[in-house]
Amino acid sequence: MSERVFGVLLLLLSAAGLVIGWDLRAPVSYEPVGPRAFPLLVFVLIGACALALVFSRRAPTRWAPPAVLGRVGGLFVVVLLYALLFDKLGFIVSTTLMCLPLARLFGASWKQALAAGACMGVALFILFDRVLDVALPAGQWLKPMLG
Amino acid sequence: METITHLMEGFAVAGTPTNLAIAAIGAFLGTVIGLLPGLGPINGVAILLPIAYAMKLPPESALILLAAVYAGCEVGGRISAILINVPGDAGAVMTTMDGYPMARKGLAGPALSLSAFASFSGSMVAVVGIVLFAPLLAEWALAFGPAEYFALMVLALSCLGGLVGDSLVKAMVCVLLGLMLSTVGIDSNSGVYRYTFDLLHLADGIPFIVVVIGLFAVSELMLMLENAHSGAAPVSLSGRLMFNAQEFALAKWTMLRCSVTGFFVGVLPGAGASIASAMCYASERRMAGKDHCFGEGDPRGVAAPEAANNASAYGSLIPMLTLGVPGSGTTAVMIGALTLYNITPGPTLFQDQPVVVWGLIASLAIASVMLLAMNIPLIRVFVKFLAIPNWLLVPGVAAISLVGVYAVHGTTFDLILGTLLGGIGYLLRVMNFPMAPFILGFVLGDMMEQNLRRALSISNGELDILFSSPVSIGLWIGALAMLVGPRVAAALRGRHAGEPQPV
Amino acid sequence: MFKQSFIAVAATLAIGAAQAGAPEKPECIAPAKPGGGFDLTCKLAQGALSEGKFIDSPMRVTYMPGGIGAVAYNTVIANRPDEAGTIVAFSGGSLLNLSIGKFGKYGVDDVKWLAAVGADYGAIIVRADSPYKDLKELVAALKADPTKVVFGAGGSVGSQDWLKSALVAKEAGVNYRNMRYVAFEGGGEAMTALLGGHVQAYSGDASEVAAHLKGGKVRALAILSDERLPGELASVPTAKEQGLPVEWAIIRGYYMGPKVSAEDYQWWVGTFDKLLDTPEFAKLREAQGLFPFKLTGDKLDAFVKERVTSYAGLAAEFGMIAQ
Repeated sequence: MSERVFGVLLLLLSAAGLVIGWDLRAPVSYEPVGPRAFPLLVFVLIGACALALVFSRRAPTRWAPPAVLGRVGGLFVVVLLYALLFDKLGFIVSTTLMCLPLARLFGASWKQALAAGACMGVALFILFDRVLDVALPAGQWLKPMLG
Repeated sequence: METITHLMEGFAVAGTPTNLAIAAIGAFLGTVIGLLPGLGPINGVAILLPIAYAMKLPPESALILLAAVYAGCEVGGRISAILINVPGDAGAVMTTMDGYPMARKGLAGPALSLSAFASFSGSMVAVVGIVLFAPLLAEWALAFGPAEYFALMVLALSCLGGLVGDSLVKAMVCVLLGLMLSTVGIDSNSGVYRYTFDLLHLADGIPFIVVVIGLFAVSELMLMLENAHSGAAPVSLSGRLMFNAQEFALAKWTMLRCSVTGFFVGVLPGAGASIASAMCYASERRMAGKDHCFGEGDPRGVAAPEAANNASAYGSLIPMLTLGVPGSGTTAVMIGALTLYNITPGPTLFQDQPVVVWGLIASLAIASVMLLAMNIPLIRVFVKFLAIPNWLLVPGVAAISLVGVYAVHGTTFDLILGTLLGGIGYLLRVMNFPMAPFILGFVLGDMMEQNLRRALSISNGELDILFSSPVSIGLWIGALAMLVGPRVAAALRGRHAGEPQPV
Repeated sequence: MFKQSFIAVAATLAIGAAQAGAPEKPECIAPAKPGGGFDLTCKLAQGALSEGKFIDSPMRVTYMPGGIGAVAYNTVIANRPDEAGTIVAFSGGSLLNLSIGKFGKYGVDDVKWLAAVGADYGAIIVRADSPYKDLKELVAALKADPTKVVFGAGGSVGSQDWLKSALVAKEAGVNYRNMRYVAFEGGGEAMTALLGGHVQAYSGDASEVAAHLKGGKVRALAILSDERLPGELASVPTAKEQGLPVEWAIIRGYYMGPKVSAEDYQWWVGTFDKLLDTPEFAKLREAQGLFPFKLTGDKLDAFVKERVTSYAGLAAEFGMIAQ
């Protein structure tokens, strides 16, 4: 069933890709193929594979129990929020905030989670920003304070 | 003879105590940078370059440092691939395929030591190749025009048969999704922006590292959470750290074959370690016939990508040293480094700067030996990672992976994109869609399309340009052999078994 | 530590005229992956500023690739407009894309143009064994049959590299739509394709040529500059000398965020004015194959605006419609 649903989604993707791709034309071009042939071909093939998924009989997918799926979804949302707030809150704060729920999800106590979060934020910031010279955001909220 | 004299001079340069120490430091730092998911050799070299310059190291020492870091990164990438199923860099994607299953079987130690040895063999084959054939290989790289690249990509794609999991349709879907993502961004032939939705962040396409981190790191964390609840046994560790004679015997020819193949692929500018390791892994898997456990922890599945990966990384130095063109992103940074020292890499580099070139080659050999010597005892330390509780490991991997992505563009757009891809990756993996074809499609897609179109625009639409050179004909035959070879072999074997045995 | 800060104070005093001091966290954003031209432009500022002791803490180079500078341009204007220590590298290619609307919603007035520190020039290159000995022969061949000469270069249709080929074709009296052009990923791949004989001519940059000329495998037919270039390329005639009035300069320099205070901006302009005249800077610039080109502050601002307008005209002429 899941694969059929996925097949239908792929079919929609393929249709959208074809519609968008149809208008890809170069103002000046020196080649017989052009920019749209390849993506159109890919999307047609995706459509064909999607039909195969929809209409073939397959072993059902084994999903985790709903409670576990909910937690996996929670993890995904936490990481997504982390990505969104990465440079707004700055690396140290956002990492600490991300660590808390993630550590809790994997069975840490509040104390452990808090310690892990704070240490990791600071330690990784020092490791990357200072030692390895990978520039990390300090955070926009810090700017006024630093002048 | 002259070559040997030069090489000896090179060893004399690389063998001074200072330079040896620099190589050791570089190899160690490289291993660490390589094992961090997201950070690869480009970052390693780019990070250390200003430091080397600020320390006023002479050019040969600076280059030795960079070469050692480069070598170290290629070796380090396998560690996180084997231990936590998250590739540390581009070349290690395929190492996860069998490295992680080995670790799950309690064989993390042998997987790490065997892959370290495979890396070493790849490096050594490549160093010998550079010493003996560098100028000749430059000609080989030049023989590759768009038509030949296209044939090479078809050959690489034909190896895909080795990566199909339980269903052909699912593998096809994944290849196609990879190809689809590869079309995003500016079309390098016509300059048209494709599927960018007016987002400037997509103008140059989706960076490789974003796809890898999403599909392998983020989705892996989600799977870890699922497994933690389903009561799956955590990765355990048997006492053995070294591979045994049986594992070595199984993998030795694989290592040699992949070292050579990886090296030749690496020499071609543009085709890098990820293509080399994928081609080698998939072809070894196909060639193994029935008698294998690829995908479930076959030692050959660890040896193949690692040997190819290192050989190709070293091979990509050849276009830089002989033609002055970068063979990969990392060598582009190295060319920048040489420029800072007022050395312009070009066709005359071997004559103009023998000390630098031969010192570099010798230091690659030295760094490889050091890495092997360093990595075997360090396995004891690395396997301790497995003892880190998940509640500490998972946030750590999440933070480090996202830093790796952030390091590419310095904007959060890629972080969000990578996370979304991770969510999709999780769903795909639960539904048993194989991830390796996805990555392969993504890597090959752009090169295949663009080179086909380049070839056709050179020939003005004539298709025979695709089969007009000996190199491309050879590659087409290779691709055909890859597709039908295993079947023919199986058929022959079947007939052979069916024949009455002579008494 | 003490000594360092002492030097810093001394340097600040020496500059005197400018009111603002050296910024605390100097950073140069290279809007490309490590190793490219933007990276080198940043390294140039990094090296010259610290060697000349103009700044006390070392300048950091960070990377923000995307659309030949489009991503960095937008990020700086939208998110980091007031950072006194941040300069961003730009090139002629950025200006071209800016002029044809590939930089998104922002225009040429949205940043503070700081300094142009060097220039590179277009060059037409063929293989050493090519039948074309000079630009005239190449042009004659083009005229006879435009499909016989395949141009290759590192940029897509609509890029500077393409415009160089198109301009040569146009001046030769050949419709640029009838010429043959193959786009490669970067100059390196294009050069390899030329050396391998897969394309017949390469419209690249002068700085790339020098090293290859020495190797004897290629021949430079023309440099697209106003006058002959100094040094190793002095023997290569300009296109103009050969009767083809095609010029193509690729300037390299830096801009700053729109909300940087006037004092800080003036500090940077003053610093670059001094820096560009030092012999150390000239040495670093030459090491990167860049030719002298110096414009700062208002003069650069006027120059950039003039360029963008003229590029827009060129783009319209060559039918490059903004996407």
